[in-house]
Amino acid sequence: MSNASAMAVRVARHPHVRFLVFGAVLMTLPALASSGIMMTSTLSTLGFTLIYAIVAMGLNLLLGYSGLISLGTAGFMGLGAYLAAYVQDDLGLGFWVAVLAALIVPTFIGLLVGVVSLRVRSIYLAIATLTISEILLKTFEQAEWFTRGTAGKQSSYPVVLGIQTDRSSMFFIIVVALVLVMMLTHNIVHGQLGRALHAMRSSEVAAQAMGVNVLTYKLFAFAVATMYAGLAGALYLFFLKSSYPSTWNLFLSLNVVAMVVVGGLRSIYGTVAGAFVIFAVPELILKELPVIGDTPGLPYIFSGVLIVVVIMFFPQGLRGLTDLLRGLVTRRPSAAASEQAPEEVAAR
Amino acid sequence: MELLQPLLRSLETGSVYALAALGIILVWRTSRVMHFAQGSMGMFSGTAVAFVFDRTGAPLWASVLVGAVVAILLGFAVDFAVIRRLRRATAVGKEIVTLGLIMVFLGLAPIVFGTDPLLLPKAIPTGDLTLGNANLSYNGLLNILLGVVIAAVLFVVLQKTKIGLAIRATASNESTARLMGIPTKTVTLLAWATAGVLGMLAAVMIAPTTTVTPTFMNTVQVTALFACVLGGFQTFYGPVLGAYLIAIASNFLKLSVSSVWGDQILYLLILVFLLVRPNGLVGKTYLKKV
Repeated sequence: MSNASAMAVRVARHPHVRFLVFGAVLMTLPALASSGIMMTSTLSTLGFTLIYAIVAMGLNLLLGYSGLISLGTAGFMGLGAYLAAYVQDDLGLGFWVAVLAALIVPTFIGLLVGVVSLRVRSIYLAIATLTISEILLKTFEQAEWFTRGTAGKQSSYPVVLGIQTDRSSMFFIIVVALVLVMMLTHNIVHGQLGRALHAMRSSEVAAQAMGVNVLTYKLFAFAVATMYAGLAGALYLFFLKSSYPSTWNLFLSLNVVAMVVVGGLRSIYGTVAGAFVIFAVPELILKELPVIGDTPGLPYIFSGVLIVVVIMFFPQGLRGLTDLLRGLVTRRPSAAASEQAPEEVAAR
Repeated sequence: MELLQPLLRSLETGSVYALAALGIILVWRTSRVMHFAQGSMGMFSGTAVAFVFDRTGAPLWASVLVGAVVAILLGFAVDFAVIRRLRRATAVGKEIVTLGLIMVFLGLAPIVFGTDPLLLPKAIPTGDLTLGNANLSYNGLLNILLGVVIAAVLFVVLQKTKIGLAIRATASNESTARLMGIPTKTVTLLAWATAGVLGMLAAVMIAPTTTVTPTFMNTVQVTALFACVLGGFQTFYGPVLGAYLIAIASNFLKLSVSSVWGDQILYLLILVFLLVRPNGLVGKTYLKKV
């Protein structure tokens, strides 16, 4: 019996099981909304928060492990959104083809950009992606056959597995996508790829000497980041049912950077928390504040100041905060450190 | 195709990009920070110029002086309060901080200056100069001269003066420079303030062609970064050269290939160019020591 319960504990402790539990908890939110406990607009905000968490997860892999920044997140996400709309509504090929297109095309473009810019110096990726994002934004405004220009592309809730979706069922799909992305990210980080990425993080030169092809792994991390962005773009479109070029500007990309920084590098739950702080807190809380709530530009200052303050004083982000709290609760200040240890060993 | 007219116009916009790019390279060489907020800091002090001009009716030159004070104070504040305290942050951490600064200034601008878009007139409202069969407005001439003269003065300062020597020493090796008794902190402080003023000037020069909104410097920022990439990050004159080349290429592409997609094609061409010469036009090979 003790054997079985030990087994049960081990299963419950498995990260994938925890991700599933986390997803199951999120799945209860639409019920809260339909029973009137939570406003429907809050449900929408939370849905978008989870979508941004997916994008941020990709950027976290890129930034956290290869130290690269992409400023093209908004462009790739927008490309995913417009592709999904084009494939589903203009070509009539349905949900799955739409998602597939939103996954493949941005990843391919991302790979091309990565091959060109990563050969020189890490920072060139930021500049190159910033430019690609500007080019894509211009495309969204000009290529009317594809995007309807500034008038905006309208879409509809998709039919998934023969079921016509609505707002709540799209929320379920977003949660499923998020849980899958969390599992995939966890597997990448803890697999052979993850070891190479860890090695690269501690010393690129040493990793290179050990036979890690740094360029390949950086490209891989960047490809994953663009793929998540494409997926999130498609989900965004299906959740909002429309897309306007002005959505996909530089400040969205910067907000995603802020989510990663605030949530904590290399932390999966932290990224979700970061998305909540950067996207949902301004929407749900700051706007409601008396006196300063109506101030224009408040969300920008909130994100910007958080980025600067977190980098200056709390480099670990929210993850550092939870480690600290856990240490206080269990009276074992080294709990956080010992949990880190296997990773650190793998990195050396 | 008429060549002189687009060339003159390119020199005019090239000067704007060159000033912005000079700010980025000054900061990069002295503090090793990729200054993504150059455009938005220029936007903020440029908006200050437009605000003073619009609300107080002060003459343009006086407004620009006020803007310069704002720009210098902002540069000091950012270096003193943030960048200087980032010694232990990684390179990417510093980059992210300047990205955060973009958002801070973008959010501050409407709070300080209001949400109504402002207008800024040309420094010289009317008058054209005829060169052969090409026209150049006096204002355009002023912009070209401003760009060229300021860049030239900066190069003379860098090469011939004691301050310039201190900046170059800091750029070449910050810790050695400090050991040699160079006040590197003052040097970076100066670099940030100068970058701020250059950004403000770029903003004032580009403002008459558009309206002063929080995003009006975005194109300048992107182009200036690309000028640095094209010119290479190892010299001070490379980015200036890159800025003028980009302006010229952009104008001719817009005229001869596509008026809508000219800039986009150019950006792609520069990315491809990086494959051939990864360190830019005048860049030296970049060696990484273990």
